[in-house]
Amino acid sequence: MARIHLTPDLGHPVMFEEVSLSTSRTRRRSGSGRRHQLRRLAGEASRQQIPLFEQLSVTVEEGEQVAIIGRKASDGGVEFLRLAAGTLIPDAGRVRRRDIVVPIIDNSNMLNANMTVRQNIYQAAAFLGVAPDDVGPRLDWIVEFGGMAKRLDSYLKDAPKNLRQRIIWTVSFATEATCFAVENALVIGDEEFEAKCWDHVEHLKASGVTFLVVDDKHQRLERFCTRALLFDQGRLVADTTVGEALTRLRVTPTSD
Amino acid sequence: MWGHRQALRLLVSRELHQKYRNYRLGYLWAILEPLGMSVTMWFVFQVLLGGRRLGEHPYFLFLTVAILPWWWFTNSISASTKVFQGNTRPLVASLLPTEFMVARVLFTRMGDFLLSLPLVVVAMLITWTFPGPLIVLFPVAMAIQLILMYGLSLFVASISAVVPDFARVVRIILRAAFYLTPVLYAVSNIPKAARAIAPFNPLVGILSLYRLGWWGNEHEGWKAYGISFAIVAATVVLGIVVFKRLEGRILKEA
Repeated sequence: MARIHLTPDLGHPVMFEEVSLSTSRTRRRSGSGRRHQLRRLAGEASRQQIPLFEQLSVTVEEGEQVAIIGRKASDGGVEFLRLAAGTLIPDAGRVRRRDIVVPIIDNSNMLNANMTVRQNIYQAAAFLGVAPDDVGPRLDWIVEFGGMAKRLDSYLKDAPKNLRQRIIWTVSFATEATCFAVENALVIGDEEFEAKCWDHVEHLKASGVTFLVVDDKHQRLERFCTRALLFDQGRLVADTTVGEALTRLRVTPTSD
Repeated sequence: MWGHRQALRLLVSRELHQKYRNYRLGYLWAILEPLGMSVTMWFVFQVLLGGRRLGEHPYFLFLTVAILPWWWFTNSISASTKVFQGNTRPLVASLLPTEFMVARVLFTRMGDFLLSLPLVVVAMLITWTFPGPLIVLFPVAMAIQLILMYGLSLFVASISAVVPDFARVVRIILRAAFYLTPVLYAVSNIPKAARAIAPFNPLVGILSLYRLGWWGNEHEGWKAYGISFAIVAATVVLGIVVFKRLEGRILKEA
C-alpha cells in the first residue's frame, strides 16, 4: 500500500536506477491556420511532454551532501528531490532508498491557518508519517527549537508568517531521518532561526546525515555540499565537486 | 495503510472538527441535513402522494434508515471528484500513501454518518418501532458500504484528476442513482421484470442489509446479496487498478 518503498539492506541511502521522467507542461497553442486560431480563441491550451530525466542512474553515498544544479530553473531540481523522497513516481526505472527520505519542499499547504500551532505541528508530522504518539515525546524539543512556546495555542492565522516555516523545518528535523531532500535551503527570512537551523544542519552533517539540496544561492551550496550533480535538459552532464560544477555552469554557454 | 492509521485518524478528526467549528449548532448539522431530507421525502411520498403504497410501515423510519447511508454515499463520492483537483500541494511533500487523500474524505464523511445515526433512534421512538435480532447486520452493511465506497472513490478521484469532465458525469449519475436505488421504495416495489437485475446495483444489497433488522421481508434471497457483494468486490479491484495506473500522473500534476 505504502507509496514509499524501503529497501533496508541497500548499501546506499538513495539509488536511482535508469530513471526516466517527463513532465507535462501546459502551453498555449501556437501556430497558424484556422484550426489553431480557433483553439487559441477558445483559450485552449495544449500539454507537452518535456523529458526531465532520461535513464538517469545515480547513487548517493552515505553522509554526502549533494547539490542538484540545473542549467535552468526548469531542469528538474525539485523533481529530483521528489523522486528521491518517493513523492513522485518515475515513468521508467526505479528509485530505491534504504530509509525514509524527508522532503523539505514548499509544503506550507500541509498546514491549516484555522488550527492552532500545536495542532499544526501534529498535522505536519502526520503528513510526514509520524504518528501522534511519536510526536508527544518530541514536542518539547520542537517547541523549544522552533521558539514557539508563547504561540503554541494560538491560531496559526494570528501568528507571524514565519511561524509556518518554523513549524515545517522543526517538524522535519524532529523526524530524526538520516536523509533530507531540501529545496531552497533555509531561505526563511528570519535570521535568528536561520542561524539556528544552520547550526543544526552542520551538526547533522557531522553525524553523517545525508542531504540533497536544491538552492539558487550558489555560495551556500559551495560551502555546504560535498558533491554536485549538474543537469542540462534531462541529462546528467557532470558529477563533480560543487566548485567545478559551478565553473562549468559559468563557462559553457547554454545549449539553446 | 494500516501502519499509518494513527496519522489518518488525526487528519480525519481534524477535518471533522474544522468542518463544524464555525456553526452555532456545530455537530447538530450532521443530523439536521439528512433530517430535512427525510422529512421532505416523507411529506411528499406519504402525506401528499399517500395513495400509492411505497416501502414498509412506518414509512418515516423506513426512509430514514436508507437516507442516512445514501447521504454518506452521495456526499463522499461527489467529494472524491475534487480530491485530486484543487489543493493537491500536500502530495508534493507528504510521505503518506496517496490513497490517504481519498481515505481522508471517505472517513470524514463516515464520521458525519456516525454522527447522524441518533436520527435513527429518534425515528424509532417517534414511530415506536424497534428492530429484531437481525439488527446485527447494520454494522455489517456499514462495513460493506465502506469497502464499496473505497473502491468507487479511488476510481472516481483518479479519473476526475485526468478528465475533469468526469466530475460532471458523476453528479448526473448520482442524481439518477438516487431514484434507481431503493431509498424511497422497497425492493418489493420494483416490478417483477426488473427485480432480477436490481442486485447489480450493489447499493440494493447494502440498503436491504441495513433494513433487515426492522423488516425481515426485505430479504430478497442470498443469491441477490451474492450478486451485490460480488459487484462490491469487483468495484474495489477496479478502483485500485485504475488508481495504480494513474498514480504517477496524479503526482505529477501536484
